[in-house]
Amino acid sequence: MAPLAAGPVRAFPEISSEPGAPLRTTVQVHADERVFPGHYPGFPIFPGVCVVEQVRRSALATVPADAGKVIVRAIESTRFLSPVFPGDRLTVELTWSPRGEAWRCEAVAATERGRAATVRLRLVAAPEPSTSAEPHGTAPVAVDGPSTQERKAPC
Amino acid sequence: MSDTTGTVALEREDLRVTIAEVLDVDEVKVTDEAHFVNDLGVDSLMALEVMVVLEKKYKVKLGESELKEVTCLQKAYDLLDAKLQAA
Amino acid sequence: MLTISAIKKVLPHRYPMLLVDRVDELVPGERLVAVKAITCNEPWYQDLAEDAGDEEHAYPQTLLIESWCQAAGVLAAWDKPNPDVMSGQVMLFGSISDVVLHRPVLPGEVLQHRVRLVRALSDTVIFEGECLSDGETVMEVGRVVMAMRPAEELTGALPAAPAPVGAGAH
Repeated sequence: MAPLAAGPVRAFPEISSEPGAPLRTTVQVHADERVFPGHYPGFPIFPGVCVVEQVRRSALATVPADAGKVIVRAIESTRFLSPVFPGDRLTVELTWSPRGEAWRCEAVAATERGRAATVRLRLVAAPEPSTSAEPHGTAPVAVDGPSTQERKAPC
Repeated sequence: MSDTTGTVALEREDLRVTIAEVLDVDEVKVTDEAHFVNDLGVDSLMALEVMVVLEKKYKVKLGESELKEVTCLQKAYDLLDAKLQAA
Repeated sequence: MLTISAIKKVLPHRYPMLLVDRVDELVPGERLVAVKAITCNEPWYQDLAEDAGDEEHAYPQTLLIESWCQAAGVLAAWDKPNPDVMSGQVMLFGSISDVVLHRPVLPGEVLQHRVRLVRALSDTVIFEGECLSDGETVMEVGRVVMAMRPAEELTGALPAAPAPVGAGAH
């Protein structure tokens, strides 16, 4: 499992559709997710962008075989249809379609109460990571150690 | 296809494509008379959004009441046509 | 210029989801420029594996959008602040369109959110803009639609009272 990237929520969607069937993932909205104390105090609502995050993770978990490693280049559209609350179970249905060099992933996220959001993502091939000069697995390097990856490098 | 003054000429099929894209529906569904909310099932917010996108695309200014009157492609076409003629 | 305490009088968001640090320019009803500093000590980095590289430290894309939208929220709510979501009118996300993410943003970068009001209607506002880091555009925002809705539309939608919810919701 690639090292977990930074994300606003801990829960990761799991694929709940049978192979060959329309793609679907499910994920629980845990009451102890970090976002809730601040969104909003005394009235926890799962942020709309966190629904988009779970769609994004669902997309990255169901990339078509021939697409290779992809990254999200754009959120073409997102419509927020109903609020999501702690304790809800989110179900995400996804449809992939090629768009020239890129890929489109259209998704509907729903709770038991009905549709929560529709999301359309555009994904592109991940750029090759530039070779990093960092030695791996060595002891913490003093401040003037080998320079880290040049930040402006496209990645 | 836009004329020399940089404003986009009003062309029905081009309008249909734009509306379908914003409403996130198949172009074939966006018939001249299909009602955005009742027939195409979009929410009122989205119907409003279409008009704001069209305002920007055709560089016309629509009043809030005019915006809310447009509920299908034909009405959008007629309103934009009137505005562009007047401009 | 708005400092953090002034921002808190306008937005209901609090730690760790208050993602606007300062407002540098505000022309009510027109445009706004806000700042968000990205640091490695944000809670989103707590679970990273020890060998996580820079790529894994990229600030979450969805929080970049949230941060920009909160800046837009300040512009939207400026003349009718309501930091209490339980009562009165509350600002709900309607939709987001054509957001392009150009490159990952890393801890240490200071983001400048530029927000322009495209259209304000009686109960709906539409924004556009971009996010810059050190003068370079890292994100473009095509269109964000926010709707002012009575708080009941949210509170009424709580599972305890599963009333169907109208158009647009956070």
